[in-house]
Amino acid sequence: MSASKSDMSLDEFRAWAGRVGIALTEEDIVELHKGYLGMMKLAARIPQDWAWEAEAAHVFAPPGGGRR
Amino acid sequence: MSELAFLTIAEASTRLARGSLKAIDLVEACLARIARHDGRLNAFVTLTPDDARAAARQADREIGRGHRRGALHGIPVGIKDIYETAGVRTAGQSHLKVDHVPTVDAETVARLRAAGAVIMGKLATHEFATGAATPDQPFPPARNPWLPDRQPGGSSSGSGTAVAAGFCAGAMGSDTSGSIRNPAGWCAISGLKPTYGLVSRRGVFPLAPSFDTVGPMAWTAEDCALMLDVLAGHDPLDPASARTEPVAYSERLAQPIAGTRIGLVKHWYAHDNGASADVVQGIDEAARVLRGLGCVVEEITLPDLLDYQACARFIISPETHSIYRRDVDREPLKFGYTTRRRVQIGAFITSEQYVNATRFRRKLMLDTETAMQGYDLVMTANHWGPPEGFDNPPMFLFYGKPSLPNPFNVTGQPALTVCCGFGADGSALAFQLAGRAFDDATVLRVGAAYERATPWRDRRPGL
Repeated sequence: MSASKSDMSLDEFRAWAGRVGIALTEEDIVELHKGYLGMMKLAARIPQDWAWEAEAAHVFAPPGGGRR
Repeated sequence: MSELAFLTIAEASTRLARGSLKAIDLVEACLARIARHDGRLNAFVTLTPDDARAAARQADREIGRGHRRGALHGIPVGIKDIYETAGVRTAGQSHLKVDHVPTVDAETVARLRAAGAVIMGKLATHEFATGAATPDQPFPPARNPWLPDRQPGGSSSGSGTAVAAGFCAGAMGSDTSGSIRNPAGWCAISGLKPTYGLVSRRGVFPLAPSFDTVGPMAWTAEDCALMLDVLAGHDPLDPASARTEPVAYSERLAQPIAGTRIGLVKHWYAHDNGASADVVQGIDEAARVLRGLGCVVEEITLPDLLDYQACARFIISPETHSIYRRDVDREPLKFGYTTRRRVQIGAFITSEQYVNATRFRRKLMLDTETAMQGYDLVMTANHWGPPEGFDNPPMFLFYGKPSLPNPFNVTGQPALTVCCGFGADGSALAFQLAGRAFDDATVLRVGAAYERATPWRDRRPGL
């Protein structure tokens, strides 16, 4: 697998898909590879280095208020 | 007969209460329009006329005896076909569920029935509220009543079409990433994505549980408020359901809007390769109208639209995969070709990416709240331009421009779609009003005031 997931080749993706363990056709793999590269472009917008205490979103108690 | 079918919920309810209108006549008017036009528009996948007539006659008997249950009593309503309905097929536009006949109503359907609403049948949707409108699905896709060669928007596609075309006065939609507001906008109706947790999702096919919301779609914001009066409320069997104090949303519409402070998020849509000139101009004019009504409208800056898009995709995709993995593995060809890949791609999101996206979601929620300090609402475009046709749908939802409704799914805020005119090609223009969490009442009040001050509710599609 290449160092950067954002430029993963189709062959690398196919090998990975084989290990993920879901049933895929070759056509699925080609489409999913294109989609995956698109997702990785979006991923660049999500910070990867968080403080260890950083919390997930509290969708069950939004900042604006409301008890659940 | 057609004029009856175009009554708003508020208008029809007033006449029903006075005794100057019978529910059965209202239902027959809607059924007549469906018979005349739905062969071309495909809004309904399952019509239940006998049940509707029986419910309408029951409503007439009760109202006649002085037992009116409320504003929805005798009002024809359609239900998106991902809501379970007792004894009526709920297929979710999927071959996987095409024989699925639930035994119990979704909580919201039960609430509508208890309020006396007349269920007309099940409305078209995109497959499991996520797939594109492709020909490998059980039912033909709904068409836009304003421009029948175009889509109505999705995934609550039939709901948007049916309300605009006068097939029912109100409809239920669901909104994980804009699926109420997209069709509401392109069908020139009103649609509310309530605050996450305000309305029970029990009995509605899930897509991404931390994003899924369900809500009303109707011709006016006032009608959405009347529906929300019935729909909102705690459900102990929906784990996301909020314990909030009851609010009489329709009564709150009468309060003045002068002094309401609105932040206009123009940088999301008014830029090169952004929204169409018609959309930009329509929203500029809408802001002018709102200022004329005494609101303060000022431009504000929120995080980049693509930040919300990235966050949403890295949460929705794995959540969707976790729900449908077993089915898509066992019976992949029962899914449409876009739905299948949109489910499968979630398998390639790592746990670390998912968790970081949920952390990022919290940051976006807080950043949005901070940017809104000093403002009651934010206002922005609902869609980029005219609706799409039916050819070559994108395989993945993130291939095109980022979703304008999506940020308020990330934050969980209530967001209302409001029609603000029509473009040169006849397609509907619309903006969103989003409020603070659980302040759905302000969103509806300002939307309703805008609608009363403008002529757009007087125009219906010429079928």
